[in-house]
Amino acid sequence: MHEPAVRSSVTSSEQLSRRAAPYLLVLPSIILAFWIIGYPILDVANMSLHAVNRFGQVKGFAGFENFSRLVTAPLFFGCLLRTLIWTVCVVGGTVILAMPIALILNENFGGRRIARIIIMLPWAVSLTMSGIVWRWALDGQSGMVNATLFGFGIIHQPIAWLATAGTAFPVEIAIGILVSIPFSVTVYLGGLSSFPEEILEAAKIDGASAWQQWRYLTLPLLRPFINIVLVLNTIYVFNSFPLIWVMTQGDPANSTDIFVTWLYKLAFRYGQLDIAAALSIVMFLVLLSFTIIYSALAMREEKEAVESTGASAPA
Amino acid sequence: MTHTKKTIFSWLCLSPLIIVILFPFAVMISTSIKPRAEILTFPPVWLPKTIRLQNFVDMWQAVGFGRALVNSMLVSSSATILCLLIAVPAAYATAWTRFRGKRLFRQFLLITQMLSPVVLVLGIFRLMATLGLVDQLWALVLAYAAFNLAFAIWMLQAYFGTIPKELEEAARLDGASTVQRLRMVLLPLAAPALGVTGIFVFLYCWNEFVLALTLLRSTPKFTLTLQIFSLVGGRYSIEWDHVMAATLLASAPVAIVFAGLQRHLVRGLALGGVK
Repeated sequence: MHEPAVRSSVTSSEQLSRRAAPYLLVLPSIILAFWIIGYPILDVANMSLHAVNRFGQVKGFAGFENFSRLVTAPLFFGCLLRTLIWTVCVVGGTVILAMPIALILNENFGGRRIARIIIMLPWAVSLTMSGIVWRWALDGQSGMVNATLFGFGIIHQPIAWLATAGTAFPVEIAIGILVSIPFSVTVYLGGLSSFPEEILEAAKIDGASAWQQWRYLTLPLLRPFINIVLVLNTIYVFNSFPLIWVMTQGDPANSTDIFVTWLYKLAFRYGQLDIAAALSIVMFLVLLSFTIIYSALAMREEKEAVESTGASAPA
Repeated sequence: MTHTKKTIFSWLCLSPLIIVILFPFAVMISTSIKPRAEILTFPPVWLPKTIRLQNFVDMWQAVGFGRALVNSMLVSSSATILCLLIAVPAAYATAWTRFRGKRLFRQFLLITQMLSPVVLVLGIFRLMATLGLVDQLWALVLAYAAFNLAFAIWMLQAYFGTIPKELEEAARLDGASTVQRLRMVLLPLAAPALGVTGIFVFLYCWNEFVLALTLLRSTPKFTLTLQIFSLVGGRYSIEWDHVMAATLLASAPVAIVFAGLQRHLVRGLALGGVK
């Protein structure tokens, strides 16, 4: 209807194809996503409500019995607790540690480009490879971590970091933080570079201390970027499988098992497919709620951006 | 603060992190050049008495590195191409046309983006089993393309949005069809965005672990990541000299390419990802 007059000569079949074009263009992506991602969700949901034998044959309807068996499983509570600790510690550590690093990298100093490249390096190396190398570095007998700490006189006898229940999980959390830093720093740097220079200059002229500048200027301005880092890291870390699987496979004595590693064991090692399906669905719902939080945050920012530009436009 | 002072101060602050980041690289290099007799000594030392580069040659044959490398190349490049082929038209439609259900489509993308393969690995395994694709590289190609689709569409549509619409309008008035406009106006302009998106998708496929672990069964089909994992997973004795040589050879090229392209990649990601 809004088409220019020239277009009135266009035949109706062409108009039809024009209207259908967007749908034809998005169709392949919808088919692929539904086929490979959508169908498995439905399949797993179906399994979670039925009795399933260890060969994967779906038997009679079981209601929520699989879910109650999941919750009462001996490992459930421990895994839940560790998943929470893992997610909170890794995400919290990353969000906090990445801040000063981004602030430093945003300054102009000699060799900044090299420093940036080094800080980003863990991003390029796969989690599997990082896990393998750290597992060797943390080896109780021949690992270089022990050798280095020995050399500095920090420890006096070798520690089997990954074979000891008390140290394995904290060490994995620390490595989890290390590999999550590059992405978070990148987002912060993107935020910092978007700040108007004049505001910071004005604060400096007004005699604000570095702490005041950070507390009352940088931090509020970075808030949306911190939110993004927080939510996206929560999703990644909650799902993070390779590091723990490669370093300890959830051992010693399940002391490093979190939901993802337990899920994998349930499905592919213990053959408890029905409980695994129930756990999958629980995790799917948790992720879905994260997604809703994320899109609500993103939308609120979009709205704020529109409002602020709308307000400033007449002036 | 003078520039020199600032430089020293900054490097000093960053040094603990930099040491921890470079530590695994040092471990990889140190172990991969040690003769086997010097590996299991206590306490271990950084520099071996004799440097043994033959480790890399031995490892290549013992580990089947070449075959796994070819598998990884095949899977990653096919998945990247398939993903981009499907993402480009979808991104074009969401960026430049109006249609009912666009919001719904975007929400749908967001949800698939948030899902990690681990959560669905049971369902994906069953799907591939019914398709007869277990232990086939094709299974990985399909799955990787699907799990990167949302990211690719998101990145590309953000970039397409920055291309002036008048260009497209002009082409349309000249009588170019949708496909022609896509091919002759948009794609040449979007080449950098396609490159950045493609590199990230490729990197994901190259590094992916869970799906490869689940869907591949026989050693000749293993991708590089899985092949190297199989050297340490569930083995009684681990030949760490070979393992470290393999991890070094597998990660160094990727890290170098990433470091070289880093500024472009980060800028590209900032445009599409954070928006």
